Amino acid sequence: MDRYRRRRLTNTIILSLSVGATMVGLGWLVLILASLVYQGLSGLSLAVFTEMTPPPGATGGLFNPIIGSLVLTVLAILIGTPIGMLAGTYMAEYGRYANLTVVVRFINDILLSAPSIVIGLFVYEIMVAPMGHFSGWAGAVALALIVIPVVVRTTEDMLALVPKELRESATALGLPRAYVIRHVSYRAARAGIITGVLLAIARISGETAPLLFTALNNQFFSTNLNAPISSLPVVIFQFALSPYADWQKLAWIGALIITFAVLALSIVARALSASGKSS
Amino acid sequence: MVDLALPSSSAAISSSASRIRILARLRVTDAVFRLLTRGAAILVLIILGGVIIALIEGAWPALRTFGLNFLIDERWNPVTEKFGALAPIYGTVVTSFIAMLIAVPLGLLIALFLTELCPMWLRRPIGIAIELLAGIPSIIYGIWGLFVFAPFLQRTLQPALIDWFENVPVLSSLFEGPPYGIGVLTASLILAIMVLPFITSISRDVFEAVPPVLKEAAYGVGCTTWEVARHVVLPYARVGVIGGVMLGLGRALGETMAVTFVIGNAHRISASILAPGTTISATIANEFTEAVGDLYTSALIALGLILFVITFMVLAAARYLLLRLERRVG
Amino acid sequence: MNSIAGPGHAAQSPVPTVVGRPTGAVGKAAEKILVRNLNFYYGENKALKSISVPLYERKVTAFIGPSGCGKSTLLRILNRIYSLYPHQRAEGEVLLDGSNILDPGQDLNLLRARIGMVFQKPTPFPMSIYENIAFGVRLFEKLPRAEIDERVESALRRAAIWDEVKDKLHANGLSLSGGQQQRLCIARTVAIRPEVILLDEPCSALDPISTARIEELIDELKDDYTIAIVTHNMQQAARVSDYTAFMYLGELVEFDTTSKMFTTPGDRRTQDYITGRFG
Repeated sequence: MDRYRRRRLTNTIILSLSVGATMVGLGWLVLILASLVYQGLSGLSLAVFTEMTPPPGATGGLFNPIIGSLVLTVLAILIGTPIGMLAGTYMAEYGRYANLTVVVRFINDILLSAPSIVIGLFVYEIMVAPMGHFSGWAGAVALALIVIPVVVRTTEDMLALVPKELRESATALGLPRAYVIRHVSYRAARAGIITGVLLAIARISGETAPLLFTALNNQFFSTNLNAPISSLPVVIFQFALSPYADWQKLAWIGALIITFAVLALSIVARALSASGKSS
Repeated sequence: MVDLALPSSSAAISSSASRIRILARLRVTDAVFRLLTRGAAILVLIILGGVIIALIEGAWPALRTFGLNFLIDERWNPVTEKFGALAPIYGTVVTSFIAMLIAVPLGLLIALFLTELCPMWLRRPIGIAIELLAGIPSIIYGIWGLFVFAPFLQRTLQPALIDWFENVPVLSSLFEGPPYGIGVLTASLILAIMVLPFITSISRDVFEAVPPVLKEAAYGVGCTTWEVARHVVLPYARVGVIGGVMLGLGRALGETMAVTFVIGNAHRISASILAPGTTISATIANEFTEAVGDLYTSALIALGLILFVITFMVLAAARYLLLRLERRVG
Repeated sequence: MNSIAGPGHAAQSPVPTVVGRPTGAVGKAAEKILVRNLNFYYGENKALKSISVPLYERKVTAFIGPSGCGKSTLLRILNRIYSLYPHQRAEGEVLLDGSNILDPGQDLNLLRARIGMVFQKPTPFPMSIYENIAFGVRLFEKLPRAEIDERVESALRRAAIWDEVKDKLHANGLSLSGGQQQRLCIARTVAIRPEVILLDEPCSALDPISTARIEELIDELKDDYTIAIVTHNMQQAARVSDYTAFMYLGELVEFDTTSKMFTTPGDRRTQDYITGRFG
């Protein structure tokens, strides 16, 4: 009986630990969200969205970084999504059995998890240094390089889920390959591909490191992409590490805005993929 | 009603002639589309190649000047232009190591809970919560770490650790020093929280993929839940878990913003993990825009190259393992 | 409707009983498709061995045999749908109206517009019922809206499903029942005016009532199309076909009129299969 009791005890201990671990894991989430709300919500006002970033000691808002972030995000998605979708299409359709696909998949997965600061350095080397100055274009390209692997992966996965009978029956009608892909496969995988794009947006919304040496920052409102452009993550970085209380406050507000944007996108993406699966 | 019977021979010939024309035109579109997709796939390879080449090119002045000593030199002096990567490398490795030490057992335990103990209705919400944790941008962790977590640790955990280990012979140097709040340990803890969701999700997915018959067989001979997990689930899921762990490690190594906020940015190696330090990514993030002089910039890019090589190796190994797993199962 | 007892259509074009190799054009029936010495490989694995068989114009030819005998493989060669997969290759000749479709210069899309295929699993495209039909038609012909409407209607009538869907042409194709979806697929195939229709176990996923309706449909369709049907259901083959081919382990064992095949088969293996000794 002793041995049995020992086994039971071990079991209970481990299982209790697992419950504890879960509570710890979830606890962090709650703590972080609570801090964000506590620190940021009180300062949230219309002024935040309409006024520009202030010099230390003055009041202001986050208008230019918000706009800057939106601009950079839209550009990055416009550049990265077509490339990502085309590559994913090759891997799932034309090149499904090709050796090239195996290699690209491997490399893509590495790029997916590569440190984003290295991407920033890369774009610095190929765009900022030759051009001689920081620019919004460089920032958009850096973000696009983060978007591409995400979209490649989701596109390939979603297209691979399209049943081969569907493809075959479209082909059996005499439809050319590109037609079958564009009108049948894409349509069938549509929800999943859109989900992938939403996830890519969520991912780049919070990325700071790649912007640090590409788009840099801009105190004033500007939409000139040939010059440094402001963005929310970089502003948070700058303001949070500063010694000024009102800058730090703005940093918290910005953090709150980003977090809720990202969470909202994730929820929408999840709802979309669930509805896609149920049909 | 339009007759769908086989058309008469002349109609057949003309309709097939127009079909031939249409299909010939579509063949061009087909070829163009195919070329575009292939080009995009090759572009992915070019991007990786480009990153490596650009990094090597940018790092070359520093590498040429310092040679392999760069890797083992602790000095980092922008004024005398003597740079060594040892402190950042050490910081990167140590913070990631401690982070994994904490996150892996926690992640496995949570995955165990989710697959064995958790009631059905709770599984999805918790799963969603874990993924939300993964989605929070790292700068949020950074700002939270700096303003909330670090002061908390400064008041509670760090003094406690200093007290407990004060008289322990070897370990006291590990937990020495004034409680700054920020430092290597704080950064490691934040990294652990960031990496936790990855390990949990991947482990949970792999655990769920274990065929129920195997578990039932074990339960059938009287094993407890833990014993089933240890002797059936974990061995079966071993490769997947290792792959997930390595992916998490790759993440931890490259993490920038969260670490930059709380590591203290001191270019030195201390025995104590309560002391400030630096990591590769934190160094680059903090110093790049102010770097004056080509050698300084080049040294920073060289750091980036080292980081890329390390993460590349870890991620490649993880992918390789997961590939073997898929091949075995699929 | 053919029956085992009566002579039916077969009386017009007597085909001698020859195991494996039919003689040249006999009687009044023309050969729409003639397979000659066909070998087929999945990678290194030889799946079809020296198959030679005719498909007579406007007749129904059934292919029967136990699982794995190669009947579906053979069917999929006739519209070269196997060409989608690089590891599969065919050697020999398949003559459609005298010209070899295995020729590398053969335009596959054109071929598939002449030889349509209906698959085992109903695969409506993820579009409305109307679009499912119109889609293929629009590819090949530029017709005004009214004419496309007519083509859609007659295709759906031909497939005996018009009355059930005429009020919901814009509903999603996936909202139909299994039997209706299969008839939709048949309508889709018929709409682009092929000359031959290949049916790969079209009823195996359907309930008996839907099966009966599709068998009636086949009987009507054969007035205008050459039909080849693969089925694992011998009684179905006996019900619907004029000629039957029995295949076993990648070889064509016997080919004859259906009535002869099911009453006095020449080969011992055929007899064993038909009487249920194996399979």
